[in-house]
Amino acid sequence: MSMLVCNVSLGALSKGIVDGIAFLGEMFPPDFSALPDMIYPAVETIMISFLATFFGALLSFFFALAGASNISPMWLKSISRFFMATERALPEIIIILLLVAALGLGPFPGVIALAIGCIGMLGRLFSDAIEEVNAKTIESVQSAGATKIQVIQYVIIPEILPSLISNTLFRFEVNTRLSVLLGAVGAGGIGYEIFYSFQLLEYERATTAILVVLLLVFMSERVSDYFRKKILSNTKLK
Amino acid sequence: MIEVKNITKSTKEGRQILKGISFKAKKGDFIGILGPSGAGKTLTMRCLNGLTKPTTGEILITIDNQVHDIAKNKGKELRQMRQKIGVVFQGFNLVKRLSVLENVMIGKLGQINQFRSLFKGFNNEEAQKAYEALEKVKIEKLAKRKVASLSGGEMQRVAIARAIFQEPVILLADEPIANLDPTNAKKIMKRLKPLSEEMPVIGVFHQPEIASKYCNRIIALKDGTVVYDGNSDISEDLLMDIYGDELQEIENQALVSAPLA
Amino acid sequence: MSLVIDHPYLIPSERLKKRAFIFSVLAIIVIGLSIILDLNPLLFFTDGHHLINLLGEMVPPNVDILWEKKSIFSSILETLAMAFLGTCFGGGIALGIAFLAATNTSPHPVFRFIFRGLMSIERVIPKLVIILVFVIAVGLGPFAGMLTLTIGTIGMFGKLFADAIEEVDPEPVEATYATGASKLQVIKYCIIPQVLPSFTANLFYAFDVNLRSAIGLGIFGGGGIGFEIHMAMKMLRYKDALALILFTIILISIFEKFSDYLRAQILNEQTLK
Repeated sequence: MSMLVCNVSLGALSKGIVDGIAFLGEMFPPDFSALPDMIYPAVETIMISFLATFFGALLSFFFALAGASNISPMWLKSISRFFMATERALPEIIIILLLVAALGLGPFPGVIALAIGCIGMLGRLFSDAIEEVNAKTIESVQSAGATKIQVIQYVIIPEILPSLISNTLFRFEVNTRLSVLLGAVGAGGIGYEIFYSFQLLEYERATTAILVVLLLVFMSERVSDYFRKKILSNTKLK
Repeated sequence: MIEVKNITKSTKEGRQILKGISFKAKKGDFIGILGPSGAGKTLTMRCLNGLTKPTTGEILITIDNQVHDIAKNKGKELRQMRQKIGVVFQGFNLVKRLSVLENVMIGKLGQINQFRSLFKGFNNEEAQKAYEALEKVKIEKLAKRKVASLSGGEMQRVAIARAIFQEPVILLADEPIANLDPTNAKKIMKRLKPLSEEMPVIGVFHQPEIASKYCNRIIALKDGTVVYDGNSDISEDLLMDIYGDELQEIENQALVSAPLA
Repeated sequence: MSLVIDHPYLIPSERLKKRAFIFSVLAIIVIGLSIILDLNPLLFFTDGHHLINLLGEMVPPNVDILWEKKSIFSSILETLAMAFLGTCFGGGIALGIAFLAATNTSPHPVFRFIFRGLMSIERVIPKLVIILVFVIAVGLGPFAGMLTLTIGTIGMFGKLFADAIEEVDPEPVEATYATGASKLQVIKYCIIPQVLPSFTANLFYAFDVNLRSAIGLGIFGGGGIGFEIHMAMKMLRYKDALALILFTIILISIFEKFSDYLRAQILNEQTLK
């Protein structure tokens, strides 16, 4: 394996380590007095993530329907799959940069960016789930004379519902983390608070914000895990 | 009343599987279609149902005193015709995550306006009728259970209820008992027989003895043509002729499982 | 026998009411949140022309920039190098730590506790914070980015590797101990061969993840393509930005396919053995 050595200077590291650690010292102890200021931004971050996951899942579902070979014509399926794969290759950061340039700062571009960001991952997961629905079941319902939309509503959605919900919950976790990151670029919420604190050189304040973030991420993980376990046990028993 | 007129079916490569099949079926007929593997039994069934189109020939079905040709129609007309054709499959083919009652109601989706099914779903009268269909196959007690929790025999009965619920003019069954143990197979055949008094019932069966026992008419296929169309007193010699070596295998399987009599 | 009497809750009209209720609650939450966040979807249409304008300015992409500006080429190398080195160092350290953290290879339970704890904490800290710290320590540029990715990789894969080590088949291990081998020998000859396939597969996945992160980190001071894209947008050089973005997409796609291919090869070889 070839070693590409670029800009890696061990000398700088050893010198910098000391600075780095000294800097960490400046970040402690956390400035808890700033905590009340953090509450709304934290909630804002969660709201952004929630709405983005909601709309994103909805959007992804439609892409998934188009991308499933068992219910979608070949040309539509190829286009949809291609689009989903392309989106997956687009880091959300870039999406939000574009949206901020067009729409300005604020949670609006943040929600849109994250929602679009879901399409790659959720779209593909949903699409695969749809393709795994027993073809004979679909065929038999069509034999009774049902239209495609009815088949989607009464066969496909019930069969993939646990997988839909489980994956969406997982994406909520991911989106919460991303929401923090995007916040720093201008989407608002607690990400912005961290960035802002750094700019004001109020490092202890930043640390408080970081701790809040830890809490948020941890909680979103717990909530998502809890519901996912419930769904898993629900489907197993049946 | 259904009339199959000389249907043929060839593959894309040109191999002819069905070489001219004709027969008629009316109310009171409980027909068993027999034949060795590859004779074209399932393909014929799929043509009857509209899942496959025959290459040539007509399949005329009488619905509401009007004659339609299944072989010629597609799209909306085909869907409307299929609403009136009930099908029971080998693999039950129910939506496992829905309840028994919902699965039955799905049978009528074709007859419900699209918008209504999208938003409102089924209405109470339909639910009541579906429940009565379940009563006909004596599993109304399972109405609220999720299909995934039922046994094979119960699932097949739900499938029959779904077919009945369509209020069809004909009932098709593609190897309906192939996945069931002998006790349940017997139960299912006993359910299917009385239905033939209301409409023609055509079933593909893998085991000739079962067909002989319950059906009142047998159509045997070999190499894509009809070689026998008569009552169920089909002779052993003729069966030997049709099935060849396969007959031994089928009889062995029958011996291994409990007797059906 | 009537449905209404035997199973009242199955009546469609009742279920419809229930469904309508859930739907209304959900709608209220979504609309409420949208209002709070000032998320007016109508804005999307009225202000949508901004997006179209932007797109207009971005097209056609200035593809020439890729070879005109020499720094772009080095930026691409920087991003790739960041991801690569971050994966290598991170993976190596993660593996080492994993041995210390796994129950069957750890010298002492204390290690296990400490390292598992550290890894959990690291996973939760946003990369944003880590890179800011490193930027202060070693300055802006890909070095800070690479260090961040290293730490990120350790957090992500330390746990995975530790779990993989713990799930190793214990019988050959016991047998080797029985012949009098030392702990290190057992690790080298028994455990490492067993975890190698999953280790390699995960490494490729790590590289993929790190490549994406590298681009994101570029914006916050990590250098590389991310930085270039951000700069281009800030300076309103939209045509350049689009060219870079398209290039990034292609780059990631290529690497994804490539790493998928390599992974399949390696795993295939393993199973054939």
